[in-house]
Amino acid sequence: MRLPPMSPEREAGFRRLVWTTAGLVAALGPHILRLQLWVSAFVLAACIWRLIAERRAWPMPNALVRGLIAAAVTVGVVLGYSTITGLDGGTALLALMSALKLLETRGPRDHTVLIFIGWFLCLASFLYVQDVLTAAWVLPTVWLLAAALLVVSRRGEDGPALRPFRTTGAMFLKAAPVALVLFVFFPRIAGSFWGAPSAERALSGLTDEMSPGDISDLTLNDVVAFRARFSGNLPPPPQRYWRGPVLNEFDGYTWYRGDAQPIPRSAVTPAGAPVDYTVTLEPTGQQMLFALDMVQDWTSGVATQSWDYGLRTRKPVNAVIRYDARSYTRYRAGAGLSAALRNLSLQLPPNRNPRTVELARGMRSAAGSDAVFVQAVLNLFREQEFYYTLTPPGLARDSVDDFMFNTRQGFCGHYASAFTTMMRAAGIPARVVGGYQGGDWNPVGGYLIVRQSHAHAWSEVWLPNAGWHRVDPTGAVAPERIERGIEASFAESDLLPGGLIRDSALLWQAHMLWDNLNARWNDLIVQFDRTAQEELLLGLGFDDPGWRAFATALGIGLALAAGLLALWLAWEFRPRRTDPAAVTYRRFLGRLARRGIERMVGEAPRDFARRVRRLRPDLGVPALAITETYLRLRYLPEPAAADFRLLRGLVARFRP
Amino acid sequence: MRIRARLDRFARDWIRRRQGPDREAVTLRRGRIYILPTGLGAAFGLMLFAMLLGSLNYANNMGLALTFLLAALGVGAMHACHRNLETLVVRAAGAEPPFAGNDAVFRIALANPGRAPRCDLEAVATGVAHAPLAVAAGGESVFSLRVPTRRRGSIVLDRIEIATRFPYGLFRAWAVLHPAMQCLVYPRPAADSPLPPQAPGLAGCGTKRRGEDDFAGLKDYHAGDPPRHIAWKAFARSDELLVKEFSGDAEALPVFDLADAPGPDLESRLSVLARWIVDAHARGMTFGLRLADGEIPPEPGDAQRRRCLAAIARFDAPAPDVA
Repeated sequence: MRLPPMSPEREAGFRRLVWTTAGLVAALGPHILRLQLWVSAFVLAACIWRLIAERRAWPMPNALVRGLIAAAVTVGVVLGYSTITGLDGGTALLALMSALKLLETRGPRDHTVLIFIGWFLCLASFLYVQDVLTAAWVLPTVWLLAAALLVVSRRGEDGPALRPFRTTGAMFLKAAPVALVLFVFFPRIAGSFWGAPSAERALSGLTDEMSPGDISDLTLNDVVAFRARFSGNLPPPPQRYWRGPVLNEFDGYTWYRGDAQPIPRSAVTPAGAPVDYTVTLEPTGQQMLFALDMVQDWTSGVATQSWDYGLRTRKPVNAVIRYDARSYTRYRAGAGLSAALRNLSLQLPPNRNPRTVELARGMRSAAGSDAVFVQAVLNLFREQEFYYTLTPPGLARDSVDDFMFNTRQGFCGHYASAFTTMMRAAGIPARVVGGYQGGDWNPVGGYLIVRQSHAHAWSEVWLPNAGWHRVDPTGAVAPERIERGIEASFAESDLLPGGLIRDSALLWQAHMLWDNLNARWNDLIVQFDRTAQEELLLGLGFDDPGWRAFATALGIGLALAAGLLALWLAWEFRPRRTDPAAVTYRRFLGRLARRGIERMVGEAPRDFARRVRRLRPDLGVPALAITETYLRLRYLPEPAAADFRLLRGLVARFRP
Repeated sequence: MRIRARLDRFARDWIRRRQGPDREAVTLRRGRIYILPTGLGAAFGLMLFAMLLGSLNYANNMGLALTFLLAALGVGAMHACHRNLETLVVRAAGAEPPFAGNDAVFRIALANPGRAPRCDLEAVATGVAHAPLAVAAGGESVFSLRVPTRRRGSIVLDRIEIATRFPYGLFRAWAVLHPAMQCLVYPRPAADSPLPPQAPGLAGCGTKRRGEDDFAGLKDYHAGDPPRHIAWKAFARSDELLVKEFSGDAEALPVFDLADAPGPDLESRLSVLARWIVDAHARGMTFGLRLADGEIPPEPGDAQRRRCLAAIARFDAPAPDVA
């Protein structure tokens, strides 16, 4: 069906609505999949309905209907998100508010509210992720929204055709130095005004507990956990154990970090050369940091080392953070074992996994020493029919018994869990350690990429003459996992993510370039913090990077940037080059005006000359001659120089 | 609200003292352009502040970048808004006298000597505004401000603002002008008043008689001149429409006298005179006007109508109204 054409006003209104809606939908883009389905669907439906309604001049819903819808969606958010203050709930509420606003949008003010909501949605997408892709999406969106503001704030339809996108782009370019100066020199503060964002986001990664199958699930995730840049030599693959949480409490199925009462941390004696590196950790929502086993020094204030040698932050890591660390891959830890820690490290749930306990006790009495027993258990995994698999079958409540005697198929977590249980059953203090093992070397950027797929679990046993000693039972079943990485273990399997990319040298190279871009982005922009600012100020020659230096740099920078902006605008608005003929003609007009004969608005030069002749017949001939010469100079495609001399001479002799 | 009005008054007086009276054409320079954020601009600022707090709180650098980018857009918009007025040449371009009760039309011409077009310019006088206009680069646009009038005499356009919110509507820049443009206000023509009878006494004294007996010369053509008097030969020579004038005996020509106009007071009698002038002109008559302080000899045409209406507008006129 063909719609009748709209009146000019309605067409202008429709155009405004199209701009605003387009900006809003673009701002919703990054949230569409994150929001609950009903929210996304409702908002998109509102956008489409409104556009159709505007085109067909349908009436807007009345206040009662709008009120009912508003109440319904608020209840929906409270039920669906259980809160409206968190990031998820807040974003959903913002999106729904924009949809409600669309149902009553009439004047320019309503449009500007929608545009402001759009900008807040852009901010919200950065609160979720600050990566290159998000920035690449948000920047044009902000641009589009600003162009929409230009369209809706337009008061007259008169004048040159407005190119909103282009005009706004030029405006952003002119203003970019101001933004840059603000970004670089606006002092970042440590800490926050109100609570740090809650870790409600579903971030995948290691947590402070581990059930059978947790780590193999994680392995299917190709997402980057952190990147490490080494200042010296990269340690060889078998030494790349990135220590995370120590899991000490076992309920027979799941291992927990537990709420250990304060236990003093026993000393570590490093040996060999240190490894220095910088880690850029992606948000985890957890309080742990990862460092090469065994970390001895790290950026002060970022974290503290707990009794289990893990680095713990005060608050959950909800944004990208960067820290330096120094580790020793050879060390001796925990020469003396306190009674409390010994008890904790021998704890087993009573009456759980009885067959494994029995097996361990038998093997220990057969072995001559703890060390021989450890080796015997590893040999058991190596020599009997145990399989290393990405897709282990589910386990019963007594998970270790089920694994040891039934399924015999497991991933690293299963082996670490079974091994630690056997150690504890035999009276050897032991614990499960979670973390990452390995990493992809990025030759483009010169750093190591550690992904969720590198997640790993191993064991630590305490032996009287060695202290806490790392034993990786996975290495007994699948030595190539430790030597050459997880991809080598499952080369034939297409379960691992990114297999296609890894198989093609070209794609792998492109992938590394892209990852390098992300790493640089993290380092230069996302991680541009107070320390980086202070370094920059020192580099600029400020002696003391305190508030005075910040204020000076900000002031000077802003003055320069604003000056640049003003200059650019002055250039755009510069006067037209005045035509010398026009200047001369104006002199002629001025002389007549002094005699009371003025050219009227809109009076053409020829009409004016005729009027002069009528009013002052004596001036008629020179006035007409001047006018004709001027018009020739003005409108002929190639004016003659002789005409200009003539005009000047005529005007010079023109004395009314 | 009263505080607001007093502030407004104070600002107006301050600006007037500061700038002094204006000449006929004024170039808007930096010194006389004022700029303040609009309500939308204030809301925009609040939004930026909220974004800044949020980004700082979450130590979110991309959020800060977004905030600063928008803040820079605001700064750019402020500069552009100011520039949109700067170097414009505002000129008083005449006024159209109305009959009392109708609108006086003041024309304000805006010339743009720059290379960039200026958009969304508004002209605001007390209580009246004009739809926004654009001025092309190197071009000129004319605002016609329609100011309502109450009584005859004259009306003065004392103060106008040339304002703009372009681009983005975040700021409003404005310039105040005191052009002191004056516009006559003709008396409102009386409802219906027949022309006075052509009494001999009326036509008698001091009036010329015109007929078609002797060719007396050429004069400019006015609407209402009989077409058969047009000097076609002269038109072919000079492109100008002239009519032949003749002298000689003809009918007596009316001269409308204030003393003859009926009415209880001066204003209603002037209204009757206005009606006579308008009707006589509409009929293409030749007429004159006599007031207590002088006389306009009979002539036909638009110029005569204007002259006569102006004379009764000015006659013993009250002080001009200020718009």
